[in-house]
This record gives sequence, structure tokens and C-alpha cells, in this order.
Amino acid sequence: MFSKPILKQTLKANYKLWLIFTGILCVMSVMTISVFDPKMMSTMMEMLKDTPMAEMAGDKLDSMTTLLGMLSQNFYGMLAVILPMIFIIIAANSLIAAQVDRGSMAYLLSTPTKRGAVVRTQAAFLISSVFCMFLVVTVVGLSCVQLVHKGLWGEKFTPDAVAVSRILDLDEAEIGDNLSLILKNEEALQAGADARQIDPDVYLVYLNQKMTIKAYDAAAAALGKDAEEITKNPALLLQSPEALAAAAKVMGVPAEAYGAQLTAAIEQQGAMAAQSMELQNKMAAGISAAAEVLDVEASDLVNSMGKIKASKEALTAAATASGLPEENILGMINSQLAADELAYDDGIVFSVRDYLMLNLGAFLLMFAISGISFMFSCIFNLSKNSLALGAGLPIAFFVFQIMAQISDSLEGFKYLSLITLFDAGAVVSGGSFGVQFAVLGAVGVVLYAIGMNAFCKKDLPL
Amino acid sequence: MPLIEIKSLTKDYGDRRGVFDLNLSVEQGEVYGFVGTNGAGKTTTIRQLMGFIKPQSGTASIGGVDCWRNPAEIMRRVGYIPGEIAFPDEATGTSFFKRQADLLGLSDMSYAKSMIQKLQLDPTANLKRMSKGMKQKTAIVAAFMADPEILILDEPTTGLDPLMRAEFVDILTDEKKKGKTIFMSSHMFEEVEETCDRVAFIKDGKIISSISTDEIRHNQNKTFKIEFAAQEDYRRFLAQSLEFSEQRDEQNQVIVNVNDSEINAFTRLLTGYRVKFITEIKYSLEKYFKTLY
Repeated sequence: MFSKPILKQTLKANYKLWLIFTGILCVMSVMTISVFDPKMMSTMMEMLKDTPMAEMAGDKLDSMTTLLGMLSQNFYGMLAVILPMIFIIIAANSLIAAQVDRGSMAYLLSTPTKRGAVVRTQAAFLISSVFCMFLVVTVVGLSCVQLVHKGLWGEKFTPDAVAVSRILDLDEAEIGDNLSLILKNEEALQAGADARQIDPDVYLVYLNQKMTIKAYDAAAAALGKDAEEITKNPALLLQSPEALAAAAKVMGVPAEAYGAQLTAAIEQQGAMAAQSMELQNKMAAGISAAAEVLDVEASDLVNSMGKIKASKEALTAAATASGLPEENILGMINSQLAADELAYDDGIVFSVRDYLMLNLGAFLLMFAISGISFMFSCIFNLSKNSLALGAGLPIAFFVFQIMAQISDSLEGFKYLSLITLFDAGAVVSGGSFGVQFAVLGAVGVVLYAIGMNAFCKKDLPL
Repeated sequence: MPLIEIKSLTKDYGDRRGVFDLNLSVEQGEVYGFVGTNGAGKTTTIRQLMGFIKPQSGTASIGGVDCWRNPAEIMRRVGYIPGEIAFPDEATGTSFFKRQADLLGLSDMSYAKSMIQKLQLDPTANLKRMSKGMKQKTAIVAAFMADPEILILDEPTTGLDPLMRAEFVDILTDEKKKGKTIFMSSHMFEEVEETCDRVAFIKDGKIISSISTDEIRHNQNKTFKIEFAAQEDYRRFLAQSLEFSEQRDEQNQVIVNVNDSEINAFTRLLTGYRVKFITEIKYSLEKYFKTLY
């Protein structure tokens, strides 16, 4: 079936190449994972939201706020495709076509080794080298996630939940379901804020925001609607007693009280929205003034509003310049900081399963690509012909893929690229990808089979 | 039954290149020479024997096993020197031999060592920087190291200096004594004449003629060149009823064919003439095939 001596020689001839590419890929993966900072990413995305860039990037922007989303866009959309592809192109050609072209294949076939055993061994090497490459990248990636972003897996709970659980003597899951308990306990509130390294008042705002989200989720479940719909129009809640009850339970208040609270909040929101433009302008003026006092760029300050809070002078300056009371400014800063914390919670969500699927998909794509290169390596006797198609086609796929991403008018190019079948975005955002993965696997199997069959039947100029 | 048998084998590469309806057979223990000019079809024939290319029609078989269908089976018994030597990626000759031994399932390297000694090869040299001759020697060792019973050699002496060529001829003679069957191609007549039992001449993909080298060596028809001291003797000699193949008037030379059975009568006849010199023109394979061309 396979030839051990050939496998030994192939390993000896190719391990350096494999090590180099696997090494680079691991380093890039570690770097991408390490630089990820959920708070920063969400602030950046917030800033980009209303710019033309956001329109260009489309849905991608949303997914960028989570680690997996960013990985799927950056690493698995680019590096994890092109680097293994180069390895495959070089290795596939050297495994068969280069040896036939040079004539050294004669020294394999003039021994009692069947052609089938030669080609099967080389195919097995190529497939398993690509598999091992992604296996190593996966293991390194997971280790890096654990080391750099502790608590992404293994620890499911945010630091404040852990701290509060000790004080309230409840387990973390119960805390997560009953955040209102924290609000009712002064000590727990302080401990949670400390654990998150934020002020208790910011923490309070954060908890309220978080509870509101959860309440909407609960109400959405009760109504059988999308949580997003509820968020857009909370008034829907008031129309259904069950939804209201579900939401109130999350908030830890009686249903009637929550109903009244919500009605007030909706009214307030309407009023805020009406003058939001004005408010924003005032706030911008305030931030500029504060920036001058603190001697920093206003644009930097937007990302770190906590600084205004820390400095009495800056706060006064902001209040004077904006014409808003200090409490209002503090409130806005607090809600901004709380939003950062929420983003951090989102960013912290890391599904090991999705990560594994991402790597499985990348492997299947590379399996199919390696099938192309290997098939042409088997079919052609000359390296230049084998490379022309075995390298040309995968590179063309990659170029088409990039062209399709650049502009909507070029989107049609994606139908010309095999890489389209590996939709990293769909994997992390819960889209469907099973069929595509199966197609990639099938394409690979068929191409390898064609290549092996061709090599066994063709004339060799040895 | 012959050990190596090619039956009406055809492989047409177009442009009259390839082999056409080729038939040959090599008996067990026979050394078979395959001579022809460049591009005559020698290597194509050998590739068929090695199972590298598929015949369009006809068959090639070794020991009754079809060369195309089951080459791996045949390779257990065959040592091969390719016409164009390209080694795999290995650092030195030694590591290359180890690799080949691994593929051949060979653990005993003593035969390889004795071959290395005979050929005065330094196997520790860098495989890629070897001279053509050294590469050829390395290829020879690789082909012989498993002491196979059949040797298929495609122009095995290219690049060897005359001393090494003589050494190689000795090696072949030894192998032949051990009962090996050898099929070798060459474009050099002297070489095959020295070593082979039978020689086939291939031209444009067809075997024009094949002959046993014994017939050449023990040819009873001898050819002599005689130069006479005077023109008068020359003219007189021409009047004899002998088989003259050439007459050179200016030099008073004749070239005459004499059968061994008439040699005594011939020498007696010569005593009546003033001969300047007499020399035998050796009958060689080259001469034989030139007459066919």
C-alpha cells in the first residue's frame, strides 16, 4: 500500500520546508490573537460605524469585535490560505513531477516498488503534512488564547462574577442569571467593580445595560421574536404580559414596576433621540476642552473617556465648554465606559467549537487545493507544466477571491474561486457551511484519485 | 524459453521515432548487446523493459512476467543503469547507496563495497558535484549492489576513461561467468564485441540484423592486404583466380579474401611473387554492420 523507505526519504527531503511554513503560520496566529483587545476593537468599530469605510466593510465590521470574528477575517481569510498554499505548491511539485522531470524517479521505480505505492505514499505525505500544519496551528492558537486572554475557555465567567460569587456565596452561573442580586448588595457591587477595575458607578451602569440586554433576550424568547427587534422597539414588551414578566424576572423587580420603569425609559429615550444631534455637538465641544486641559489629542480622548473623569479640571472644562451639567457629562462617560465593558464581555466569548471548525475548514480548503497541485504534478512530466497549472490555478483562485472582496461590481469573481467554499465568516457567525465543507472534501478526494490514476497509467520518460 | 522476450513491440513517437515491430529474445546467461546510433530506439526499448512506458502493441516480458503490467515483480531480479543519470536528492554517494539499499530491502553491503573498490570510487564525495565519470561509477555500483541476476544497462560506459572502461569490461566478464543475463545498449562496437555473446543492430526503430560475436571472432573468411615490390608482380598476381575486393594500381596493393581452407594454397602461391608486405585486415563487428548499412 505505502512504501516506508519512500516516506522516510520524503520526510527527510521536506521537513525543513514544512517547519518553516508551520512556524511562520504559528507566529502569525499568535500575533493576531495576542494583539486582539475587545475594548479597543469595539471602540474602533464604534468610530468607524458611520464612516464610508464601514459601508465598504459591510457585515465584516460587526464580526471584527470578537476574537473569532477578527481571526476569521484576518488570519483565516488571508494568511492561513496563502501560506499553506505556497507550501503545497512547492511540495506537490517536488513529490512527483520534479522527480520525473529530473529523471531521479528511475531510482525509485527500478526497485521492487509499485508505481501505486510511490504515488500513494507521496499523496499521504502531502495530505498529512497539511493536516499536521493546521493541527499545530490549532493547538498553538488555543494555547495562546488561554495564555493571553485567560478565561476564554476553561473559565466561562467574567472576573466580577467570580468575585461577587464569593461574597454572595452563590455559584457563578446563578450570578449570571440574577445580576440584580449584585445591585442589592453594596459589598458585592464594590467587589465586582474592583474585579473589573472600574468605578462602582460605571459598574452600576454596566450592570443595568447588561440586565436590559438579558431582559430583552428573555422577552424575545417569550414573544418568539428576534432580540434585535425588541431592542429597536422596547414598546413591544409592554404589549405582552408574559414577555414583561420574563423581562422583569431578569431585572429582579415585579412586573408592574418594570413596566412603569420601561415606559419612563422609552419616553426618555425618545426625548434624547430628538436632541441627540445637539447633545453630540455639545459633548464634542466638551471633549475638546477636556483634551486641552489634559494635553492630549481629542481623538485619543474619545477612546479613553475615563481620563476626563479622573481629572477634576478636565471635567470642569468639559462642563463649561459644553454647557451641560457635570452630572450629565459624567453620566455619558459612565455609559460609554459601561459599553466598553459590554464589548469586552462579547469579545471574551470564544467558542472552541467554532475555532476548531475554522481550522477544519481551512484544512479542507487546503486539502482540495493540494489535490489540484498534486493532480497536475502526477499528470505532467515536466516541472514547468506541473507548476503552470498546479501553482497557477490556486494562485488564480486567491486573486479572484481578493478581487471579489474589493468591490461589489467584481463580486462575481467569487464564483470562480474554490476558496469561496471556505467562508470563515459564516463559520463564526453561525452561518451554514456544512455543505461547502463536504464539497471541498469531495473535490480533494476526486482530484487525488485522478492524479494517482494518471501517474500509474502514463508513460514515464526515465 | 528466453528470459527476456520482446514480441512485435511498437511504440510510435511520430517522425519515424520510436520502435516498430521489434522482436528480440535473450536467453538465460546470455550477454546481449544492443547497438545503434543516437535516436535509433535503444532507450525506448529499454524503457519498455523497465515498464516505464506502455507499448502501443506487442509485449515485452522478463521471466514470463509482462514488463508493463507488473514491473515491480520484475525489478526484484533486475539491476538498471539509466541512460541519463539523475540522482535523487542525497548528500553523498554513501547516503545514496544506503537509500537504494533501503528501497531494495538489502542489508548486506559487502557486494557494493567490492564494486566501489573495483571502480576506485570515493563514495563520500558530494553527489551533486561529482564528475560525469564518477556519477557513472556511482550508477554502476547502484545497479550491481544487490547482485541481481539480470542487468539492464543503458550505455553504461559513457563518461568512463579508457582504464575504467577496461575495468568495467572485466566486471561484466565476471558477472557473465556467474551466469548473469545482461542486456546492454551501446553505440560503441568494440565494447560490445568484447563482452557480448550476441549483438543486435537497431536502426530507425527496427532491428536490422543480429549476430553472434563468435561468428565474427571465428570468421573463416580472412582478408589480407598485400603490397608488391614491383608493378610487374602486381599485374601478374591479378591474373590469379582469387577473390579481390579492392585493387590499388598506384600502390601495387590488392585486398584479397581468402577462406581458411585455402590458406595453404594461397601461401604457396605467394612464394612466386616479390611481396613488400602482407597484413591481415581484422574482421570486426563494425565492419560487419557497415556492410549492412
